Amino acid sequence: MKKASFLRTASVLLFSVALLFGCSSGGGSGSNSGTPAASNGGTTTGAPQKDQMVIAVNENFITMDPQNTGDALSSGVQSAMFEGLLIYDKDLKLMPGLSTEYSVNEDATAYTFKLRQNVKFHDGTPFNAEAVKINFDRMSNKDNNLRAYRNYKYIKSTEVVDEHTVKVTLNQPFSAMINKFTTGIISPAALEKYGKDITKNPVGTGPYKFVEWVQGDHLTVELNPDHWNKGAAKVGKIVYKPVPENGSRVAMLKTGEADVIYPLPEQQVETLNGAEGVKVERTPSTITRYVSINMLKKPFDDPRVRQAINHAVDKDAFIKVVKSGYGAQLESVMSPTIAHYAKQGAYEYNIEKAKQLLKEAGYENGFTTDIWGNTNSDTMKGMQFIQQQLQKVGITVEVKSMEEATLSDEIYGIKSPEEAKMNMWYVSWSSADPDNAMRSLFSSENFPPAGANTAFYKNALVDQSIKEATQSSDQDKQKQLYGVVQENVFKDAPWIFLAVDEILYGKRANVNGVYITPSGGIYVREAAFQ
Amino acid sequence: MFRYIVKRLIEIIPIIFVVSLLIFFFIHLVPGDPVRLAAGKEATLEEIERVRQELGLDKPLLTQYVNYMQNLLTGNLGHSLKTGLPISDMFENRFSVTMTLTFMSLGWALVLGLLIGTISAVFRNKWPDYVGMLTAISGISLPGFWLGLILIQVFSVTLGWFPTGGVESWKSYVLPSLTLGAGIMSMLARFTRSSLLETLKEDFIRTGRAKGLKESVVVRKHALKNSMIPVVTIAGLQFGFLLGGSVVVETVFSIPGMGRLLIDSIAFRDYPVVQAVILLFSLEFILVNLLVDILYKALNPKIRYDS
Repeated sequence: MKKASFLRTASVLLFSVALLFGCSSGGGSGSNSGTPAASNGGTTTGAPQKDQMVIAVNENFITMDPQNTGDALSSGVQSAMFEGLLIYDKDLKLMPGLSTEYSVNEDATAYTFKLRQNVKFHDGTPFNAEAVKINFDRMSNKDNNLRAYRNYKYIKSTEVVDEHTVKVTLNQPFSAMINKFTTGIISPAALEKYGKDITKNPVGTGPYKFVEWVQGDHLTVELNPDHWNKGAAKVGKIVYKPVPENGSRVAMLKTGEADVIYPLPEQQVETLNGAEGVKVERTPSTITRYVSINMLKKPFDDPRVRQAINHAVDKDAFIKVVKSGYGAQLESVMSPTIAHYAKQGAYEYNIEKAKQLLKEAGYENGFTTDIWGNTNSDTMKGMQFIQQQLQKVGITVEVKSMEEATLSDEIYGIKSPEEAKMNMWYVSWSSADPDNAMRSLFSSENFPPAGANTAFYKNALVDQSIKEATQSSDQDKQKQLYGVVQENVFKDAPWIFLAVDEILYGKRANVNGVYITPSGGIYVREAAFQ
Repeated sequence: MFRYIVKRLIEIIPIIFVVSLLIFFFIHLVPGDPVRLAAGKEATLEEIERVRQELGLDKPLLTQYVNYMQNLLTGNLGHSLKTGLPISDMFENRFSVTMTLTFMSLGWALVLGLLIGTISAVFRNKWPDYVGMLTAISGISLPGFWLGLILIQVFSVTLGWFPTGGVESWKSYVLPSLTLGAGIMSMLARFTRSSLLETLKEDFIRTGRAKGLKESVVVRKHALKNSMIPVVTIAGLQFGFLLGGSVVVETVFSIPGMGRLLIDSIAFRDYPVVQAVILLFSLEFILVNLLVDILYKALNPKIRYDS
């Protein structure tokens, strides 16, 4: 019998493990030897000069091309590096960015911008009217297939008036255009140099410069010493880390490995209350939470049925049970944080009234239907809540949860509105401006598959008001028209109006000047440690 | 032996071909439209069609498959639908991270599993056996995500010994590899125990004891080696379980590995990435099991592969 051959085999195996481990430790920064890997802030807490901030978020970033971005998280990271002609401040108010002032003509078809002078991109390229033209031409060109084309397709031409003046002419009035000028401007030299790879090599004018992006692990930016608003941001380095597991994110904040975490799930707030050196922050959000009701289907084609359902659901209880008390009742079709919001009140919780309305509509004994939603545990809780509430007025609801991509296919992958199988859909919507909050969801030209009007809501007056509001640059007129829209939609009840979410995030007590905006952006323009 | 290995390696080619075919058609059968997901809720139909053409997803499925295979044969894994980045770039760091994690877990599992199993067998029906088997039952029954979060709470938040996640240093791998290895460790412990108990009943063991050998020598030199064959088989087969488990563990510990990439890509219907990850996992699994077969020979010279 051979001696110790088992031991030898085992040691060979263990040795190979060790070897493999040795080869790949520090794998997080394998591709860029020479750049030190971002080390955890945890080891430096208590050091007098803390100069690196770690922000842990819940998902991976997708792209660093601000003109081709669709997710709030990528935009949130980009806002450190890029600036538009206008910038959203932490409360979503527009403020001057790369332009110092602008003027609009009467019918909102021509915008003239005075540009900020002596600004340079991170690669040293000067920022001027020519740079703006190159960027706007890039976005308004259909062939480039950029997401920003959706907003920039209205641009007929961009003219360089002089070095620091730019005139943008639209092919039709589009009142929401002013909000779209917040899209980040990219260095023309970088666009030239990187071509398609610009998604990995962001070069803007913002307070922070790009350092490295290790796919799936972290993205690092460093302070831009030449920023036009020098001194506002003080932290030398910011590291953004995707940490998908809620519990892990909270643990990182507790240990000091992360300085800011977002989102902070409602049910985790308790675990942080009273934790040392940690603060929980709350901000009203632009996110509305509702149930979309398919108005093309019986019995939902009867407004009395939809109103009855709204009376049958206790919104206060919904916020308490499903949102752990964080949130506010939804009292219009959008969040109060959005311009031209008009409060409509609420469908009071009244079971008798609900039963009465159902009786008038001919459904005294109720009916059976179903509600769809994704597989997220909060969604499940919400759908079960609706199920239990409607049971009280005799409506039997079957809860169907589907994985997100399948759900999206079922809702939008239809050939015509009549094909839609959906009865009710538990969902949320986030918007930054009234056009996006109302035209997308209530204009009859946006029935699926063409758009997101999943209630198949159609009202001639609403269609007309949205159209007029889109084509006017007069703020008072817009307010009046959008008021008409909100009033009518609320009365017609294409949704079960539930809640406006609150944004919850956690930060270490020594973090200043970092905010999560109502739309979920990460605002670091004044980032500092105490 | 050498001929055997070459033969086995050649056999991998048709297997991989079949696997690639299956993955391709299965992932395309799953409902969900990557174009819709990529373009977003507010995309117009026109936009969606443009993106579909750009990504080549408007072509017939068979044409897409032929293109995919052609690329694969030239070693080109393609580009992600979601990020537009070359998949090889996305794998660059992630592959070594997941390999480290899985092999470290296997290392833990082997060392601890053999140790617990041996102790349990030797002290059969005494308290060390009960403790060992209780540990093993726990390792199998505790869900990975729960165990992971508990380890984070105890060793990172309360004691501050290890980081909560990421891949900064060797310390980062300790908790995740323990979490991932727990299930297999338990399996191995139970198999080692039962296999060793069987071996200890054999005639040659009785002979050894009759000759006056010390019990420790009997167990270490004679019984253990003979009990290893079923244990090694299990270790190889369970490797697939490790790759699957890495998905959960990488999420809990925010480790930027292949498992998490797979989850993100499935959610997004990022066909090329899903295909590439599963293909790589299959290849790994096949190679590990080849390694197991070679180990047999080391353990038992009676097994011959050349015939």
